Amino acid sequence: MIKVSHLRKEFELSRQQQKELNTSDKIALAVNDVSFECQAGKVYSLLGPNGAGKTTTLRMLSTILTPTSGGIEIAGIDAVKYPQEARKKIGFLTGSTGLYARLTPIEIIDYFAALYQVPNKERDERKKYLFHLLNMEDFLQKRIGKLSTGMKQKVSICRTMIHNPEVVIFDEPTSGLDVITAENIIKLIRDCKDQGKTVIFSSHIMSEVDLLCDDLAIIHKGALKYQGSMTDFRQHMEATNLTEEFIRIVQR
Amino acid sequence: MIFTIFKKELIDTLRDKRTMRTMLLIPLLVFPITLTVFVNVSSSFEKKASEEQLKIGVWGDLGAKYWSQLKEMPDGIGKKKLKTFEDSSALKRAIEQGDIQLGLIIPKNESELARTKQPIPLTWLFDATSIGRQERAESYMNYLSNKAEAIRLQELGVDMEKIHPLIPVYQNCASDKKMIGQLAGGFLPYIFIAFGFIGCMYPAIDLFTGEKERGTIETLLTTPISRWQILVGKMLVIVSSGMLAATCALIGLFVSIEFLDIVQNKEILDIVHGILTPLFIVSMFSLLLPLVVFFAGVMIPIAVYAKSFKEAQSIITPLNFVMVLLAMIGFFPGIELNAMTAAIPVVNIVLATKELISGTLSIGYYAISLGIMLILATLSVVVSYKQFGKESRILN
Repeated sequence: MIKVSHLRKEFELSRQQQKELNTSDKIALAVNDVSFECQAGKVYSLLGPNGAGKTTTLRMLSTILTPTSGGIEIAGIDAVKYPQEARKKIGFLTGSTGLYARLTPIEIIDYFAALYQVPNKERDERKKYLFHLLNMEDFLQKRIGKLSTGMKQKVSICRTMIHNPEVVIFDEPTSGLDVITAENIIKLIRDCKDQGKTVIFSSHIMSEVDLLCDDLAIIHKGALKYQGSMTDFRQHMEATNLTEEFIRIVQR
Repeated sequence: MIFTIFKKELIDTLRDKRTMRTMLLIPLLVFPITLTVFVNVSSSFEKKASEEQLKIGVWGDLGAKYWSQLKEMPDGIGKKKLKTFEDSSALKRAIEQGDIQLGLIIPKNESELARTKQPIPLTWLFDATSIGRQERAESYMNYLSNKAEAIRLQELGVDMEKIHPLIPVYQNCASDKKMIGQLAGGFLPYIFIAFGFIGCMYPAIDLFTGEKERGTIETLLTTPISRWQILVGKMLVIVSSGMLAATCALIGLFVSIEFLDIVQNKEILDIVHGILTPLFIVSMFSLLLPLVVFFAGVMIPIAVYAKSFKEAQSIITPLNFVMVLLAMIGFFPGIELNAMTAAIPVVNIVLATKELISGTLSIGYYAISLGIMLILATLSVVVSYKQFGKESRILN
């Protein structure tokens, strides 16, 4: 479970950034008073246009960024006070596969398993399960730099799930991927839900959200514009389709 | 956990061809190749110059005894072929056109000057742009001069030993080890600094800026390890790389001296062997280690700050020139390790290494140098940690 309360994130702007943004403000407010809850066994979607504050919010949830104020609870752990403890419970995946090109998939998985302090026996079982599930056996010994985008994405998924996290955070996971590769991610999100994990993912594609999520929040300019269940969203929408309703809410 | 990061980063670094080139291949091969080429080329030029048969044009009093002495001169001084000329301008022209290589002008009044026991000017013409010409003229002249001196003294009835009442004897009291330290000691710290710096450079950029560029730092930061552990793990790889590059350069230099016949003087070789004791090697690495940690500590904040590989490289490369300039202090005679120079970072290591080779290193100054470098290395680690802890720095 994830509990977020009154989350706020400010960034200090450098002189160059002030110039680029044409502002004299020394502080940029990226996320302002955001509160929500994600339940275990459900998929929560953070929807918003580019620059809305989705990535900043998810980076705070995954403890890469420290909030300026507000609270985050990850699987019962105060993630602001005890980020290292919280990280043990989190799996984090982005669309841009951050992998080491000169290592092989097996080396990367072993490395991350060691960083998450997964016991060897459990690691080997998880590896066997994930390699079979993702059909990775054929390219385990090849270097990442020689793999296709789809193969790399499978390695990323395996890396994210090796420690069997309770909470899985996906930051625009299908961004820039082809349909077949994106399908792997969609399948993974469904599997996580079936396993009772807490899943949060960000997207700007309404159709993807419609396909997967149970609850959603729409974020724009750092603030929440809507939050509720997907069923409620569908029932109470004023526009003719989901995408138009999303645009209507953002422009409101 | 630090070891896990160190191991992974080391494997990753060792598989990077660019880093391997700068860390292992170039340092290992640079001295054997450059010294072999340099020694072979220069000795072949010297050999060619000494064995070359020169055409000597002679103008002036051909009846003088020098003409016959030149003819009788042994080939060991330099092979030659003589040719007479009718005027001095033709002689000069022939040298300019390359028809002859040396010209000798014997004064027309040579017999008169010899008879009245006056000095006889012998003028040698040569083209200084051709290697070895002047040296060959000097050899011929020494031969003629010695002969003339002996003849004149005999004519005067003077014993040669009697005209030299004082025999100067200059005795060098410096040990051979000290001499080598003074003459070549500047070279070793230069290697330390040049290769230690380059050895650190690529891994530092790759492990910090590269991780930012590739987006791998984000996934690494979501794992339950602290930033200082990540920093130390990566820093250990950078330091190892710098140490390895400097060590490889030293091995390359040692191999060149030992096996490639570059140093032909047996006494010098014996001194080099005498210097290379376990204590010397340990002392040398104790100076190298804080220096390389300092380099890594300077590079990491830059690599963390830079947004791209290019940006990091453009900031670090000029620093390399500064370090190499400081390393060159070791080549200047007269600059010694004292209380003041021991407090100047990098310069202290250069001078301490030089004195270590000479065997004149004072323990007190060694301790100051080491202390200063350790303080700086610690400071640079702290600065690196602070930079690495900044959100704005580690995420592009």
